[in-house]
Amino acid sequence: MTSPLWRRIGLSAWMILLACVIGIPLYYIVVNTLKTQSEMVANPLALPTGLFLDNYREVLASPRLFRSFGNTVYVTAVSVAAQLVTGSLAAFAMLIWTSRWNRIVGNLFLLAFVVPGQATLIPLYRTLVGLELVDDLNGLVLMYMGGAIFCYFLIQGYMRTLPFEVIEAARLDGAGSLRIFWHIALPLIKPILVTVGIFQTMGVWNDFLIPTVFISSPDNRTVVLQVFNAVSEFATDWPMFMTVSVVALIPMVIFFVLTQRHIVNGLLAGSVKG
Amino acid sequence: MSAIVVSKAHDAATRPAKRRRSGGGWKQIAVNQAFLLPLGAAFVFLVVIPLGQTFYWSLTDFTGYDPDASFIGLANYASILKDPSMLAGLGFTLLYAVATTAVITVLAISLAVQLNKVFAGRNFVRSVWFFPAVPSMAILGLVWRYIFSPLESGVINSVLAKLGIAPVGWLSDDGLARFAVVVVGVWAATGWHAVLYTAYLQSIPEEYYEVAKIDGASPRQQFFGITLPLLTPAIVISTFLLMTGGLKVFDLPYALTGGGPGFATQTITQSIIIAGVSQGRSGMASALAVLFTIAVAALTFGQLRLTRALERRLS
Repeated sequence: MTSPLWRRIGLSAWMILLACVIGIPLYYIVVNTLKTQSEMVANPLALPTGLFLDNYREVLASPRLFRSFGNTVYVTAVSVAAQLVTGSLAAFAMLIWTSRWNRIVGNLFLLAFVVPGQATLIPLYRTLVGLELVDDLNGLVLMYMGGAIFCYFLIQGYMRTLPFEVIEAARLDGAGSLRIFWHIALPLIKPILVTVGIFQTMGVWNDFLIPTVFISSPDNRTVVLQVFNAVSEFATDWPMFMTVSVVALIPMVIFFVLTQRHIVNGLLAGSVKG
Repeated sequence: MSAIVVSKAHDAATRPAKRRRSGGGWKQIAVNQAFLLPLGAAFVFLVVIPLGQTFYWSLTDFTGYDPDASFIGLANYASILKDPSMLAGLGFTLLYAVATTAVITVLAISLAVQLNKVFAGRNFVRSVWFFPAVPSMAILGLVWRYIFSPLESGVINSVLAKLGIAPVGWLSDDGLARFAVVVVGVWAATGWHAVLYTAYLQSIPEEYYEVAKIDGASPRQQFFGITLPLLTPAIVISTFLLMTGGLKVFDLPYALTGGGPGFATQTITQSIIIAGVSQGRSGMASALAVLFTIAVAALTFGQLRLTRALERRLS
């Protein structure tokens, strides 16, 4: 920390230069949304010559993109909420009642971690075809319920650190399990719910594998799928594609800025403890 | 995310507890099991049953439509080893997993060591590196497709044109396309893993370095003598996440190259989807999925054992 000034300046300059190179793709998509097609072709990395906003006007006028936003918000909100409720209910049950049976069940759940999603994809596809849940947003929600097992493990790890006496006291006062869960356990585990919820939100929002296999009609596309299909729609109009991408990325960027502290802390807490 | 974190939490939970078992009676047990029911149902319907089906179908000639599938033993496994597209998928997935793990580990540790020093603009640098972990890899892959465009208007080719070099078809040559996918994979994940390493670096006591300096250790000796050994737990976790993530990769190569040229950048996941969903070769796709599951499971167990062995040695 006591390195000479010139060395610190040198390090700073070198690191910022390197970061600028790494940031080129981000600069590239943003800057080209403000250009016409011929401008972009002539010089992809130059700054725009004027403020050209037609790309944004056109993209923001497209109802399909907004529909896909609605779809993604629905799928993400419902599945993350369901994952958190399912995971914390099970974690609570394991906390208040330790029996051999529950221990066996807990060990079985671990199995879910060595099974990659790819291994269950084809049978689940056939099953959802049978249930008529293919090309249906609720089918996606159902598929994402597997994430509840991940939530369960992290929530259960956190619950172990809570003072058990609080729950015991509530029970002696005659509160039922559901009431204890809702009024005492849930408020206490809020920090882990936030962390896990953020990770799951990013995972579901950004997922491409499941929507690309299970969604076929344009009206049911999620944002990522919509952008993916925009490439073929705007085959030659690159600035339009860049604009669609930027608009699609904005919610995730805002989400990231708002939750950055939790993401980095969660990442560190999770892995350092591990 | 991390099986290691999970196994830790699980160890703690299954240890015999002293103070549990409050009250009892059948009603209590019933309520308790009702709380476990939703997760149990998700586990059975989304993991256990489909896994069993995958395994069973891998031994049949099931097409996905005709319910009368007949048992054909290990024939599917044998035909995977003869199918060039399946083999290409296996080969490229392994290449991707190993190459990204190795390169990202070296780069992320170097980056973390620099990010751990005080310099102007550190937060900016960290944010820029970390940012690619935020958006969907499918969208970033598409953006990179334009950067690697074979036309002179592609970013890289436009820079080359200024230097008087003819445009290169980055994604139309087998080797270059594989290289491009790995480069983008490294670009996307290095910052995330550097942040992970930074956390471990911050837990190394400053005194170690002071003592080493007094003993006349060079910065190089300090890095290999202190920093690297103390980063071992982080390296284990990071490489594990990179290897399992690398084996499961799908979005990035699919968006960037579509698996091409030919099958050069096809991944196992893409092979499973193509064979199992689009081509109706469910038996063969299931056999591939079984092999894939065994590989990922073996890696996970090996990793857990390694972590525990290291912990015993270090603590």
